[in-house]
Amino acid sequence: MKAHFASPPEVEVDLVFVVPEKDFNAAGKGSSEVKNLLKRLGVDSETLRRIAVASYEAEINVAAHSKGGTMICLVYDNLIHIRFEDKGPGIWDIKQAMVPGFSTADDLVREFGFGAGLGLPNIEKNSDALHIVSAKDNPTLLELIIFFGTP
Amino acid sequence: MNEKERQYFHAIQILEDNCTGCTACVRVCPTEAIRVRDRKAYIDSTRCIDCGNCVTACQFHAIIPRSDPLDIIHKFKYKVAVISAAYFGQFTEDISYPVAKAAILQLGFDEVAEEAVITEFMIRVIRQYIRDNRDKRPILSSHCPAVVRLIQVKYPSLLPSLFHQEAPMSILTRYLRDQIIQDNGIKDEDLGIFLIVPCVAHVTAVHQPEGAYKHLQDGAFSIGMIYGKVREYIKDLQNNPPDIDTYPKGLTWALSGVQAELVDCEDIRTLSVNGIENVMEILSRVEDHYLDQYDYIVLRSCTNGCVGGCLNVENPFVAMSRIKKMIKEGEARLIDLKGIEGLYHEGEFDVAPLAPRPIMELDKDIKTAIKKMKRINEFLTMLPGLNCSACGSPTCYALAEDIVQGKASIEDCVVLLKRHSKEEE
Repeated sequence: MKAHFASPPEVEVDLVFVVPEKDFNAAGKGSSEVKNLLKRLGVDSETLRRIAVASYEAEINVAAHSKGGTMICLVYDNLIHIRFEDKGPGIWDIKQAMVPGFSTADDLVREFGFGAGLGLPNIEKNSDALHIVSAKDNPTLLELIIFFGTP
Repeated sequence: MNEKERQYFHAIQILEDNCTGCTACVRVCPTEAIRVRDRKAYIDSTRCIDCGNCVTACQFHAIIPRSDPLDIIHKFKYKVAVISAAYFGQFTEDISYPVAKAAILQLGFDEVAEEAVITEFMIRVIRQYIRDNRDKRPILSSHCPAVVRLIQVKYPSLLPSLFHQEAPMSILTRYLRDQIIQDNGIKDEDLGIFLIVPCVAHVTAVHQPEGAYKHLQDGAFSIGMIYGKVREYIKDLQNNPPDIDTYPKGLTWALSGVQAELVDCEDIRTLSVNGIENVMEILSRVEDHYLDQYDYIVLRSCTNGCVGGCLNVENPFVAMSRIKKMIKEGEARLIDLKGIEGLYHEGEFDVAPLAPRPIMELDKDIKTAIKKMKRINEFLTMLPGLNCSACGSPTCYALAEDIVQGKASIEDCVVLLKRHSKEEE
């Protein structure tokens, strides 16, 4: 699948994580490691928080709603670009999924304390740019960009 | 001693002669502060938070706690001991609370006071603080000195959320100092106030308090160090039970879970976390605002709270069970705290905003940091990924970072060395 955002010349550091289906212990590892990496690079704490929230929610989305996927983090010296690619079954209606409180989470997902319908709205709120490609019975591509604030 | 080591005091000492370079300490350090080089362990003073994990892990008595020798009390005319609540969980049930307390007097003190006496006051102060600082949720407890230092080192963005008031033993010291000078006509310099503490972090806090406006205590003694002597005095005391005040309901201070329950009320939701690994996981979640539903989080570095401190003699679970029994069976008593209340309202227990001790950034400049990160990743692909610590760094990642920061070389990797020597054959 072709990425929507035109990439800056060269990726400085990249990280790839596998997000398995319905494994809520493994989901979250990726976003937590990204946060640690950015801490080491000296990214300010407010930006760190936004990245952590957006990437965690997206990771949980992949685990809760798809048949598994990957999280690809591309770090540049002024921004982070994160791509989530899953194996479907896709989002029926993206517009509806963006409405706070709307959720298609099943009982298992809710049992783990997820499925409040705030995932996508939270991702949007914390990202500087968000792009989603999906359709029924298709894989989903979600990518987001967050700029590092000037300290 | 270099500049940095002079900057931070630590109550942990390495006896080089005993150190075998086994790396047990390297592997248990939560802030990756220890390295073994030339078969000897050394501690990076800026990273160490005095949690005491290495003291417990060392099998060779090479890492020992540094508390003060008991003799120093004789430098003072009037000597006072302030006892951590954890102390009372250290004795078998045939030894009563008053006996255990009176035994401390026999060590040569003129007066004993216990942390437990102001627990109720502390709970009120904590609740008030939470209600006055609703904008900072959740408030993080600051009573474990190791947790405070952990936040300074690894989670500096959370420093404003720390409970910015003195810890109970310091509050008590401050109060007793005023009282004794006033009532007994003793000069400030003749009055020695000492803490009986369950962990190295508390020893460090006495010698280098964070955020304190005044240096309060004159020394700290470990429970383990005085235990032998105390047991001897207990034998005599059991025949003549002493008449001494006790505060069983206040012993909750030694147990992180019970302390959280006490603060919890209609408008305050609390969470209790203990054990340094758990504390780190929770702090990371707090950073991302995933635990904003809590108003107060009690964080203690040791298992079950202060009863798990490395200077105790009893197992933390047994000690906890004993203290719980004492709380349950003990009677509540009215304690006159007017003096303490007065000092509190004068702001005498305030602490200065805490400064970070950042260790995480690879470099001040993000471009250089990224360059270093890339080099770390290059080295990481070369390293075996076993995290065996045989090189003296805790993980392969830490070795890669040490190499990039000029503190180690790739030749330190034993596994690579073996592979290369096989290839040469």
